[in-house]
Amino acid sequence: MTHPFRTSTAVLALSLGMAGLASAETVVDFTVAEYSSKTGPYFQEVADAFQAENPDIKINIEVVPWDTLLQRLTTDVAGGSAPDISIIGTRWLLDFASQGVAEPIDGYLTPEFKGTFIDTFMAPGVIEGQTMGLPVAASARAMMVNMDLYEKAGATPPKTWDELYEASKKIAALPETFAFGLQGKEIETDAYYYYSLWTHGGDILKADGTSGLDTPEALEAANLYKKMIDEGLTQPSPTNYTREDVFNLFKQGKVGTIFTFPMLIPQIKAEAPDLKYQILPFPEGKAKATYGVTDTLMVFADSDAKEAAWKFIEFAYKDEWREKFDMGEGFLPVTKNVAALPYFTEDPDVAGFAAGLPYAKFAPTIANWEEIADVTVRTMQQIYLGEVTPEDGLKAAASEINKIRGL
Amino acid sequence: MANRFQKSVPLMMILPGLALALAIIGYPIFDLAWTSMQDVSRFGKLTGFNGGENYHEVFADPLFWESLWRTGIWTFAVVGGTLAISMPVAMILNDDFHGRGLARVIIMLPWAISLTMTAVVWRWALNGRAGLLNATLMNAGIIDQPVEWLATASTAFVVEILVGILVSIPFTTTILLGGLSSMPQDAYEAAVVDGASGWDQFRHITLPLMKPFINIAIVLNVIYVFNSLPIIWVMTEGGPANGTDILVTYLYKLAFRFGQLGKAAAISLVMFFVLLAFTMLYVALVSRNDRDDAAPEEEIKA
Repeated sequence: MTHPFRTSTAVLALSLGMAGLASAETVVDFTVAEYSSKTGPYFQEVADAFQAENPDIKINIEVVPWDTLLQRLTTDVAGGSAPDISIIGTRWLLDFASQGVAEPIDGYLTPEFKGTFIDTFMAPGVIEGQTMGLPVAASARAMMVNMDLYEKAGATPPKTWDELYEASKKIAALPETFAFGLQGKEIETDAYYYYSLWTHGGDILKADGTSGLDTPEALEAANLYKKMIDEGLTQPSPTNYTREDVFNLFKQGKVGTIFTFPMLIPQIKAEAPDLKYQILPFPEGKAKATYGVTDTLMVFADSDAKEAAWKFIEFAYKDEWREKFDMGEGFLPVTKNVAALPYFTEDPDVAGFAAGLPYAKFAPTIANWEEIADVTVRTMQQIYLGEVTPEDGLKAAASEINKIRGL
Repeated sequence: MANRFQKSVPLMMILPGLALALAIIGYPIFDLAWTSMQDVSRFGKLTGFNGGENYHEVFADPLFWESLWRTGIWTFAVVGGTLAISMPVAMILNDDFHGRGLARVIIMLPWAISLTMTAVVWRWALNGRAGLLNATLMNAGIIDQPVEWLATASTAFVVEILVGILVSIPFTTTILLGGLSSMPQDAYEAAVVDGASGWDQFRHITLPLMKPFINIAIVLNVIYVFNSLPIIWVMTEGGPANGTDILVTYLYKLAFRFGQLGKAAAISLVMFFVLLAFTMLYVALVSRNDRDDAAPEEEIKA
């Protein structure tokens, strides 16, 4: 717990020292979330290159692990030693914005710079019409199928939910095999339902801001999962299977189809190199959709080096740097030029996940989101267990969510 | 004057200690009570007094009442089960037999492992497909289909109670063993001469003499178990569908997942008063019983 103090002292000493040496120099403190061991060195390289071009600006990189990032920033803000810019989880942005910690960046954002971003990724950073942050990292979800099981069952990889259902019937007939891996426990149980909700044409919130769980599309999406459970097309008792449990079944070659994220690919390559898999878009009902997840680059409202910070931001978003970052960390590109590179369009694994980006959906940036997600998780578990009918469960969930939203 | 001064000397001597204890124990409770009456931001900043709003919300929440009820079952079942098993275990370990030292070590060993680790191990062991428990039961021919123990709230809660009992046994056995080894042997010898059976000895000698030790085991275990987060949190996070939530897991979710620190503070305070009420009630009951037991002797003396 001495860290914030030590750091701020160090920064103070540093900036005083700098001020003494070269009074024109501006220091930009940049807190970086540690995605992997490559993150720190990468941003230091960007900073060095920037400083070579702009000797009057000093970029001060500080790498903080994800686990402690929110707590660290909170302490820094409370102690008045917040950095100038920081990478944050987009789900925190609303809290930062509503407390006046985040600086709206519309004034800095030139139309030209704004045009380099893929529009869908800008959307989560917009709060009440103001852009509060830039997308810095992105990933999307997709369907993954076990090709060996599909071949053995004489099924073709599905494009629609009907095809998935028919193929699953064939695969479930194989011995010791489950057709569809359905997550029903702990983190992101709700996301597994949103995949179905979105592709059936529904949404988490309706246009008027009320819960979308009481719509016919939401019911159809839940009914489908319930039908697959009842007919033995999923693994038994989904409520005992976390995301990792479902992925493990897939790695063992016991499941035909799962919904997953890009980070699973290196795991499969390391743990089950013989597994023949394919990445495909989510099955379609009435709509195409995928779940997009982003992290945000935020400017702090009480920063006294906003101009210099913004200069650095524009520099760091140049294509060469973004390409290096996205490839190094295994993320999907947030800028149009990088997304058009051959690596992101031709590598079947990456392209499979990247293909969904134009129509990606995001968790809404609303207050009490975690609580709303928890209501959805609980309702799905009740439906999967047969404690409520999908119709009653979803209706109750919608009214509870509306109550949390104050609508 | 001198007499009054002399009387107050002991009080004054414990005053610094008392003040320190009050500051250390009292201040957090005061702070908690203060927080529970405020609107609190996600970052822990108090943003305004709201009176009983947090309490009102908590008491209007059906999940709170379900969790409270389940906390009662959880505490009663774990403490009751622990005592029912620890008593005979302690009596066996108190008898002199070959390898007693080793047996004592084995009983105490689980104590050395953190609760969280034990819960993680059980979570793996209870896994439906890959778990050790199902594999063992299937090999032994007891079940022919794997059972998903943690998939439904009813089986998950029973399993969690059993694990709770398992981890509480070492501590309880230690207390009871301490009591048993301090017991006078001549009472038993006299009873044997009078022709008392093993059950009679247990009923009329062991139990009454063990009362203070059993009481302390009950009070301490109730406090620990009532507040115990790791087992349920690691195994099910209070799920599925909040079916295994007890107050402390519900509180944890409110505070650290939903960022509702005000409501969480209100529940903490409610939990504190429930425990306080239990302890006071229990101590009152015990001391009244002791007085009733002691009464005949005084009559004889008189």
